[in-house]
Amino acid sequence: MTITKMIAKDEWRYWWRSKLATSVMLVGLILIAGSSILTAKQMTDAAHERAHLQSEAEEAFFSQPNRHPHRMVHYGHYAFRTPPPLGIIDPGIDAYTGDSIFLEGHRQNSAMFADRQASSELAIFGALTPALLLQTLAPLLLVLIGYNVITREREARTFDQLIAQGMTPLKIMIGKGYALVGVAGLMIVPLFVAIIFATLDGEPFVSASLFMVGYALYLLIWCIGIVLASTMMRTPSASLGALLAAWVVVAILIPRISSNAAVSLVDAPGKIETDFAVIEAVSKVGDGHNAADPAFTALRANMLQQYNVDKVEDLPVNFRGVVAGAAEANLTDILNKFAEERMQVEVAQANIARYFGWLSPVLGIREFSMKVAGVDLETHHRFLRETEALRFDFVQSLNRVHAEKLTFADDANRSSNPEAEKRTRVSAENWKVLDEFDFSSLPANNRIENASMSLMKLVFWVVLLLVLCRFVGRRAL
Amino acid sequence: MSNIVVEARNLSVMRGQTPVLSDINFEVRKGEVFALLGGNGAGKSTTLHTFLGLLPPQSGEAILFGKAVHSDVASVRSKVAYLPEAATLYGHLTAIENIEYFLSLAGIKKSSNEIVQALDRVSLQKEAHNQNMERYSKGMRQKTAIALALLRETPVLFLDEPTSGLDPVAIDEFNQLITSLAAAGTTIVMVTHDVYGACQVAHRIALLRRGALVGSFEADEGGKIDTETVHAAFAERAAS
Repeated sequence: MTITKMIAKDEWRYWWRSKLATSVMLVGLILIAGSSILTAKQMTDAAHERAHLQSEAEEAFFSQPNRHPHRMVHYGHYAFRTPPPLGIIDPGIDAYTGDSIFLEGHRQNSAMFADRQASSELAIFGALTPALLLQTLAPLLLVLIGYNVITREREARTFDQLIAQGMTPLKIMIGKGYALVGVAGLMIVPLFVAIIFATLDGEPFVSASLFMVGYALYLLIWCIGIVLASTMMRTPSASLGALLAAWVVVAILIPRISSNAAVSLVDAPGKIETDFAVIEAVSKVGDGHNAADPAFTALRANMLQQYNVDKVEDLPVNFRGVVAGAAEANLTDILNKFAEERMQVEVAQANIARYFGWLSPVLGIREFSMKVAGVDLETHHRFLRETEALRFDFVQSLNRVHAEKLTFADDANRSSNPEAEKRTRVSAENWKVLDEFDFSSLPANNRIENASMSLMKLVFWVVLLLVLCRFVGRRAL
Repeated sequence: MSNIVVEARNLSVMRGQTPVLSDINFEVRKGEVFALLGGNGAGKSTTLHTFLGLLPPQSGEAILFGKAVHSDVASVRSKVAYLPEAATLYGHLTAIENIEYFLSLAGIKKSSNEIVQALDRVSLQKEAHNQNMERYSKGMRQKTAIALALLRETPVLFLDEPTSGLDPVAIDEFNQLITSLAAAGTTIVMVTHDVYGACQVAHRIALLRRGALVGSFEADEGGKIDTETVHAAFAERAAS
């Protein structure tokens, strides 16, 4: 056995015989394992439930009776996002943004049913996800276990005894580091098991492995940092104080500062301000329910000219349906413009916050974890865009049915003439215009590419701390 | 061939901005017991720490086996066993576990039997061998540390207040042990403020005061140093 391994083994023996260290380790393991099991169950249930709800929503839409196509536009449809396999470890921003969208004509609804909004108070325990525990609690437990790995030796003067046996400070630091890495290894055992489940659930091996590597690197950063602080400080209380302060700074303060900096540097208009701007812009495109709206005068003239007729009643298509389609297209352009602007602002803010990952490995691992798991802001935006494409597609398909399968006369008189009303009811077969919705994660390679910068941040921290260790190790006598 | 094993040559050491040793010189030959006597803060432990490579010299050299300690700390340490002032062993381990662990770090393998024999040699009670050291008295810890130093079988022993915490019987046993080790060729450098103890075992004594050597005494033909003389000199020159 090498000397560093002997030192590590003795440290483990010390922890094993010290009730405090063993208790802290046990609490950490139970919490992380418990949270992994609970979150995995929660996310698996959610995945099944959402898949079930998606097919139920589609079935409900398809089983609507014969009716006027525009009523189906307002009947609407739900789109659900099933969590990705690694979501059992890191649900990412799903818990805040929601995973379901109600799609209907003339509107772009926000995602809803976010856990944070929809759950009872008890759901706070559900929010203790394995990712959160590994990102914030595991380092704290490592600090509590390892803050005195070197300072304890100094205080008991066994450090000198070790040196007198021919050890160098660097060798002692490496041995203590090994011991702490062993504890960190225990802490990621539940993660490893969860990753196996995620792989069985379809997560590619390469991304699952990288996910594991990311967390291993992150905990390695803390292990090295703890040994470093314990070497640099003279007493256990000083090393504990320094490490707790470091934890507060990187796990609480810098993330808060990053959000505040992002909001300060990239100005985002408020919701009320945006809503008024949308209403103002939308009011200019005309009401799609009213074919006589002056906003469609040019469209009317164009169509009359195109088909060489004098009245809209003589057009081979239902002008009311054409107006509905044109209005929806104009409206969607405006809504998309505002949505894209909002998403760009969100991405710009997120990017500023991500720069702080160079200052805090907690932010680094958070970004890495969400990107590899496919639960980051960009994925949420993709979900919004894909659902919007689905919404626009099915609304316009119904508008085409409205234009092509109904006559203008029947459509215009359906409120006053029951027979005309009957003729405006089209066959339920037409509801099959709705595409099946199946939102899936980006391919593993893309996710890994997206996460490469955050991985660099973690590697940067490892290298920086190792260099510091080497420097401090030479001067630690 | 010179038989000088330990040598301080114009050795000066600073702790921060404070000079702790100032231009001291001494030599210790093979099989000799050399005692550095001095009051608190005289620089006794600093001298040992410098020879262990724990402190760098400001000027001059700390030499072991003809080699400057700081030129090859690892090689020098492998030839030295060190008994610190407060026996610095692990409270969570038993005496046997402590000895096994520290020996294994030094790359030395000893059987349990040999370890027990060494503990017997320093008169540590049998029933204490397998108790965690956190329950040990200061004297018991000291005995364990001495056993560890003996088991390393190094040619040089550095002892920092070695009889501190030992009862009178144990002190006598320890003195006999030191004498027999020196007779077997082990070079021993001990620092102490116990004038009587030093005179019992040392071949030469140097007085240290505020980092400077202020006197030295050699054993007579009978191998003894007169305690009264040293005590008087210590009271006059070294006590501070």
